[in-house]
This record gives sequence, structure tokens and C-alpha cells, in this order.
Amino acid sequence: MNRWLDISSTAFIIAFVLYCASFIFYAVAVGGKRWSNREPAAHNRRWGRIAFVTAILGWIAHLVFFFTRWAGGGHIPTSNMYEFMTFLAMAIMFAFIIVHLIYKNNLLGAFALPLVVIIVAYASVFPSEVQPLIPALNNYWLKIHVTTAATGEAFFAVGFAAALVQLLRVVDFSRTDKAGRREQRWTEFVLFFMVVIVGFLVAVFGFRAAGYEAKFQQESVTIDQQGAEHSKVQTVEYGLPPIVKPYNSEKLSMDTFIGMKEPLFEAPSWMNGVNAGRKLNTVIWSIISGILIYAVLRLLARKPIAARIHPHLTDIDPEDLDEISYRAIAIGFPIFTLGALIFAMIWAQIAWSRFWGWDPKEVWALITWLFYSAYLHLRLSRGWQGTRSAWLAVIGFLVVLFTLIGVNLVIAGLHSYAGV
Amino acid sequence: MIQNTKCECGHQNPLGTVLCESCGKPLVEDLPLDTPLEMRYDGAARRSQKANPALIDRVWNFFSSVKIAVYLIIITLIGAAIGTIYPQESTFINLDDAGSYYKDTYGTWGTIYHALGLSRTYQSWWFIGLLVMIGTSLVVCSLDRVLPLYKALAKQQVRKHLTFITRQQTVYSAPLVEEPDRWIEQFSKQLKRKRYKVWTDGSALLAEKNRFSRWGPYINHIGLIIFLLAVLGRSVPAWHMDKYIGIDEHQTVQIPNTNYYVKNEKFTVEYYKDEELPDKLKGTNRAKLYQTQAKLYACTKYCNDDPIHEPELKEVESHPIEVNSPLSYKGLSLYQYNYEERIRLIEVKPMLEDAKTGKSYGPFDLPMSDPPPAVEAGPYKLTLSAVFPDFGLDAEGRPMTKTRDPNNPAFVFVITGPDLPDKGEMYIYFPMPSGDDKAVQQQINDSFRKLGSNSGRFSFQVGKMENVSFSQYTTYLNVRVDRAMPYVWVGATISMIGLVMGFYWQHRRIWLRIDDGQLTLGAHTNKNTYGIRNEVASALGKCGVAVDPKALDNRRSSS
Ligand code: HEM
Repeated sequence: MNRWLDISSTAFIIAFVLYCASFIFYAVAVGGKRWSNREPAAHNRRWGRIAFVTAILGWIAHLVFFFTRWAGGGHIPTSNMYEFMTFLAMAIMFAFIIVHLIYKNNLLGAFALPLVVIIVAYASVFPSEVQPLIPALNNYWLKIHVTTAATGEAFFAVGFAAALVQLLRVVDFSRTDKAGRREQRWTEFVLFFMVVIVGFLVAVFGFRAAGYEAKFQQESVTIDQQGAEHSKVQTVEYGLPPIVKPYNSEKLSMDTFIGMKEPLFEAPSWMNGVNAGRKLNTVIWSIISGILIYAVLRLLARKPIAARIHPHLTDIDPEDLDEISYRAIAIGFPIFTLGALIFAMIWAQIAWSRFWGWDPKEVWALITWLFYSAYLHLRLSRGWQGTRSAWLAVIGFLVVLFTLIGVNLVIAGLHSYAGV
Repeated sequence: MIQNTKCECGHQNPLGTVLCESCGKPLVEDLPLDTPLEMRYDGAARRSQKANPALIDRVWNFFSSVKIAVYLIIITLIGAAIGTIYPQESTFINLDDAGSYYKDTYGTWGTIYHALGLSRTYQSWWFIGLLVMIGTSLVVCSLDRVLPLYKALAKQQVRKHLTFITRQQTVYSAPLVEEPDRWIEQFSKQLKRKRYKVWTDGSALLAEKNRFSRWGPYINHIGLIIFLLAVLGRSVPAWHMDKYIGIDEHQTVQIPNTNYYVKNEKFTVEYYKDEELPDKLKGTNRAKLYQTQAKLYACTKYCNDDPIHEPELKEVESHPIEVNSPLSYKGLSLYQYNYEERIRLIEVKPMLEDAKTGKSYGPFDLPMSDPPPAVEAGPYKLTLSAVFPDFGLDAEGRPMTKTRDPNNPAFVFVITGPDLPDKGEMYIYFPMPSGDDKAVQQQINDSFRKLGSNSGRFSFQVGKMENVSFSQYTTYLNVRVDRAMPYVWVGATISMIGLVMGFYWQHRRIWLRIDDGQLTLGAHTNKNTYGIRNEVASALGKCGVAVDPKALDNRRSSS
């Protein structure tokens, strides 16, 4: 560890704390408007300004983190999952600041900041050491590609945040007909999905803090590029209590967890890829702890969470949110095209001798791009605005997330970083 | 249904026109009353809106529909996603039996996946068909719209119908106390300051800016078409080559089907030192660099396997090939693909030792590939009677060569010279310095002696390391020819220019007229209505008409 890296990790913690604080201030700005003895507009403006300034300070700390890590590590910190995710969070903040400066809307902050907080926390799940580069990653086109692609995706993230507010704003809880209920259910489901991600973080950090560990020995068969089979025995380490153990594995050691001494199930045979069992186990834990957190929230709210948030959003026009969401995506689309497709092709041409190889990560970047181009066409040429367009913006960001995280978790390809 | 296309202003519009080309009055009766007008292509008729379509028109109409384009995009998207479920066959360099590979690795689903051809999704007829259809759709859609739009924007009337103005997205209407001419002059000054172009016609005004942004989508689509054509062009064999070659150090190899030869002068691997690695990775071999010092030769004479002459080569390029740095020459590119650590002898310079006299002769040159038929060492002549590049024994224990690669070369010499029988003495020689080889060499030479083929007095000794030259690594290079690449980049660049034009600028227009002291203003943009409202409100404000930007929103006040 050198001095730069020490400064860098301190700055990271400061940024994280400031983001959390900014989120709370935004929540106060939006949620506290009807607190007694205050004038709603003035309250909103005041706390909104405090929150925005805090967010900017957090972002500056984040920049310090980024550049000191660059100086200390000797290469731009975007080369593993930890670094990429922190960079993405920084880019989302950048996109948020730009969009906020155009539209000055506090609601956006109340939804963009938790997203940033979640992504920063998610980044921290991964090992944070500076790693030296392997030759294929050592090229400036790669850096340009990764940073611009992430910036494009960051604007999609802001578009998603605005679309989510819009959905929460327009969902009508007085409706009891089928379509109305469906709308209420799906809106709630998006919130539930985000709670599951929080559940994942709580589970990982909870058990990590408790020092939980279990180890298995797994025999796996891999097939190399030449098509030859290799059988290999490897140790799989779990940080979460193994509800599911890896396919075809032996227990080496396992801490007990509330009386659980043995794994409950074995992963199915088709899940024989690297760490597939552990990933499945992580997903199960995320859902369990997500459900628990959601249940607590529901108990506190005593109604669907969306119904609890909805009344706080009534004094904003859904058209404004529609415009913000669309505009963020419209700003992001060319950047994404340039970064995730064109620069990626230039780099692939130089590094791998082909500009396009149908690698899963590439294909998913293309899918993301096709999805957003469908969104734009539907909007511009077929007049899809309002709720329909908002749903597309939400789904689009799920596609982005799958491209960034899901592909690594589910499909391993050339691009894979280490997965959890 | 016969539609009357003559407008009340006297202009005769083509069939399918939504808004009068001249004054902008809505021509279609059943337009929803309270919403802003649909301003696509300024309401001009598109080519696809013909009365009695013939077959060709039907095809045209099919591809000119954005709805169809969106379907095509969505289907392509789903198809592409399905292709990522299991690895594609193309990711394996040699997969002999793909069917059983998918069955063994992924079970029943793998079998189905392979049987449906999904293991080659991106090369399948239906996927390529979708790309071709998207391409067609791009061409047709753009042609269908760009011409009417161009015409509509080229001849715009300043004075528009009142309905046209009041049914824009952004509208303002109020009595005006000031004198119309002076006010309009003041207002146009404000707009000009915001870089609008302004035309006036009596008490009517038209202001416009960033019209070029309207061409953005079409430029983008042209770029996409070029890109798609280039990608499809790669399937022309002469445009495309993708081969892998392995070269030992100091070896020169012909690039298949070309007149080019590559030489691997030297191959270098560097690993990260422990102090450069984080704790977790210490002690692992993490490659930092691998590099092939390569020379590219063009053959100038005797190129086609001439049995007598060696090909004549001329050096044309030399370059240290690294992962991110290929050697390129006239459209041919050599990329570092892989390497293998494998010791191979290239040449040895052994001495011939005579145990009887204690004298040694030589050294003589013995290259592993194409050794000369005979060499001389002192007074003796060594005639090569057999070469085994990759020595082994067959089922009956007879010497044979396992492969043609010089993995374990062995040479059988017949030595003739002074004091030797006329038929000479026969010896086998293994230049590889391994213990096993030396034992086999001893065994075979002993059996030759028992047969009376030699007397056992001669042996071969290399002695110093300088007399051995060997290759430590075999480098694997990927040879590429991709004549479509320039078009790919041109297409991508044009597309990008179009996107930037279309998204970062917006075409904005403002219409205004004053009738009997009543000011009516309408404004339209194809995106960013927020921006245009601000601009209008600020220009009005500077001319004494204070208005909140939001109040200009026609959608909002009507809903
Ligand atoms: C699949 C790749 C495609 C991409 C990425 C793409 C991209 C775009 C984009 C970004 C716009 C924005 C328009 C604007 O700024 O106003 C647009 C507009 C348009 N696209 Fe595409 N396009 C694609 C394919 C197609 C196809 C296949 C068609 C043919 C049917 C098509 C027809 C149109 C039309 C007519 C517009 C103009 C819409 C308007 O301005 O009202 N596009 N396209």
C-alpha cells in the first residue's frame, strides 16, 4: 500500500458517507414538506439545496478517490469489477448533476442517490486491491471504451430513476379494476426488486462482518478452447451459509449458522460452471433477506411501499418527469453508442483482431443498444409517451444491469471479471 | 374514401397530407380535438400513402413502417439474447463434434440448442435475414420520409392558419396593447439574439433554428446502412481471411494461400515480479508482456513449391507483435494470439569424436529442418541415410517418426573415410540432450554393432552451448485480412455524426401572428419542449409579456 492508495480509500469512505447523507436530505426535502409549521415550497427548496451541495461534495471526494487510485495503482482504475462499479457510480453522479442542472428537480435526487449508494455498496462486495493488468487490458482504447460506455449507461440510470418516480407518481391506488391492479403490482415489484438488491448487500456485509466461512471441494470438468476436456478439483469458498452446496462437491469446513451444520441442498447438475453453486446460494440469500427487509418495511408502512411514497409526489407534473427521463436517455444514447459499441469495436479490433466476436458481453451491449433504439423509435415515431415509455425506461435499465452484472454472474465470457 | 385535399387557402395538397402544406390547417377531420397536432414530417404525405398500392408498393409500405422496424429490432434483440445462453461454436478453435460437445456439456437442453442451430445463431440464415430486413427497412423508411420532410421544410409559409398555431405543443395567446409592427420588430430582435432565423410577413412571424438537426436521424441511418453492408461484405471470401499459424523461434513459415512468409526472430515473455503484485497474487505467474519479434517477407521468385529452388524472399515489414499491437502490411494483419513454451532444437554443431584415436573433427552444421544430404568432418564424410523428426518406435519395435514436427529429432549417418570399410559405418544420433534419448541412442548403436554395421568407435558431441541453437517458445499468430474494415469505420462514423446532430441539437420553430390586437404564438420542436418553452418565455418576457414557461404547455393546460 502506498500513500496515494491510503488517501484513496479514505476519500472513498467520505464519498460514501456523503452520498448517504445527501440521500437522507433529499428524502427530508421530499417527504418532510407537510411537516407542521413550514411552507412546503420553501422547505423543499432549502433541503433540496442542502442535499445537492452534499451530493456535489460527495462526488468531489469520489473524484479524489478515483484520481489518487489512478496515481497509486499506475493505471486507470476501471479494470476489475470493484473499480468498474465505483466508476459507474461516479458516472451516474455526473449524469445526475448534469440533468439536475438542466431541470432542477429534487425528486430526481431522492431516487438517483439511493441508486448510487447501492452501486457503491455493491462495488465494495468485490476485492478492492489494485491488480496489475494482463496484457490484453493494457491499452488506452480499453480505457476510453470503458469510461464512455459507463457514462452512457449512467445517463440511462438517471433516465431509469426519473421513470421510476414517474411511475410512482401516476400509479393510481384508488383503482380496483384489473389493469389498475396490475399497474400497482408491477410498480411495487420494481421496488421489491431494489429491496432484494439491498438484501443481497445486507447479507454479504452481515456475514462478512461476522466472519462466516464455509469451504467445499468441487470436482469440475472444463473444456478448453481447443475442445479438450480437463477435470479439475478446486476449493470453493462461501461467505454466506451454504443453503446450496456446489454440484458434485465435498464439505471441507463449515461454520454453523443458527444450528445449520450441513448444506440443505446440492446445486443441480447443469450448474457445473465455475462457482455456479455459490452464485445460486448468493441469489437465494439475497431473496431471503430481501423478503425479510421488505416485510419489515411493509409492517412499518402498513400498505404497499409504492402507496406510501405516492402521496409525497403529487405536487410534481408527470410530464416533467417524462421529459427528464426521456432527455437523460436521449443524452445517453449517443454516448453509449460511441463507448459501448464503436470504441469497443476499435479496441476489439486492436486487441483481439476482430471488431466483433459475438462474445456474450458484446452481444448484450448490442441488445441494450437495440432496446433503447426501440424505445426511441416508439417514442418519436409512434408517440409512446407517459407510462408506457416510463416502463420501457425501467426495463431498459434492467437490461443495462444484466449486461453489466448478470452476464458475469450467469454467462462467463472473455470479459468476465471475478463474480460473487 | 375520397378525401378532399384542397385546402381553404387554395392550396392543392397530395393525398395523405395531414396538415395543409401551405397554411398548416389540419385537413383530416377526425384528428383528436383537444391534443396538440401531430407534427411528424410537418404533416406532409409520405410516399407510402398511395391510394391503390400495387405489389411493389405493398412491399415498400411494409418496410416503410416504423412499427415493422421496431418489430424487427425487437426480434433481432431476442434472437441475439438466445444466442448467449450457451457458448457459440465459433468460440472454439477446433471443435470436431459439436453435437456431442453440447450434449455432454449441457445435457438435453444443450442437445436441443444445438439441434435448433442456436449454437450458430449469428451465422444462421434467419439472423442474417433479420439484419438484411433491418437494412431494407432503414433504406425504405428513410427515403419514404426524408424527401417529403425536405420539401415541407424548404417552402414554409410565414403566415399559418390560426388552428395550426393554437394546436402546437407550446402556445401563448393574449391581447396585445402595443403597436403590432414595433412589437414584432422587438420580438424578432430577441429571437435573433437566441440565434433564430426570423422571417416576417406583415403581422405574422416565423422563427426557426437548428433545422439541420432534422437530418440527424437520416444521416444516422445512412451510416447504419453502410455499416450493415460492410458487415455483410465480410462474407465475401476474398475480403476476409482468418487463420492461425504457429512459429518456432528463428523459423520462417509461409502464410497459407498468400505469397507472404513470416519469421519469428525471437519471442519474449515477461511476468510481473512479486513486488508488483498484491499479496493475494504473489507467487503466481501473471503475464505482463508477450511479444513476437516478427519479420514479414514477400516472395519474389520460385514461390509455388518449386522442388529445386528455395523461394526468394524480400523483407517488407518488421514489427514487435504484442497483444495490442499487430503487424500490419497492406491489409494483412498479424496478431499475437497465444504462445507455448516448448523447447525445440533449430540447429546443432556437433563434433565427430573418434574413441580409438582420441581425436575429434568438426564441428559441422546440422540444421533440424532440411539437413543437407551429406556433410564433412575432418577426413570423414557423413551421409545422411535416414531422418526421424519426431523419433518413436512402431508396434514391431522399428524406428519411425511420430509426427513431422521436430519434437525429438534423430539422424542416421553412414560414415565413410580413411580406415573404414567401403560400405562405411552406421550411427544414429539424437541431438536432444535428454538422458532418455542418450540411452536409446546407445541401445540402437549397440544393436548396429551387433549386426556388424559399426565398430562403435565414433560418437557425436556438442560440447559447448554456443553450438546449440534452439527455440524456447512457439508463438501462435492470428492472420487476418478484413477488406471491409474501412467501410465499417466509415459507417460507424457517419452514424455517430447523425446521432450527435439529432440528439444534441433540436429543430425549433416559432409561429406568431397578431390579429386585431390579439397575439397568438405557437412553437414546435421535435424534442426538448422544456427548452423551447424557456426560450419563448424569456423572449416574451424581454418584450414586456411576463409568462411562466410552464403556462405555455398546451398539453398541460388541456389535460
Ligand atoms: C436498428 C437500428 C436503428 C437505430 C439505432 C436507429 C436509430 C434511430 C434514432 C436514434 C432515431 C432518432 C430520431 C430523432 O432524433 O428524431 C431514429 C429515428 C428514426 N428511425 Fe431509426 N434507427 C434504427 C433502425 C431504423 C429502421 C430499421 C428504420 C426503418 C423503418 C428506422 C426508421 C426511423 C425513422 C423514420 C426515424 C425518424 C423518426 C422521427 O424523427 O420522427 N430506424 N432512428
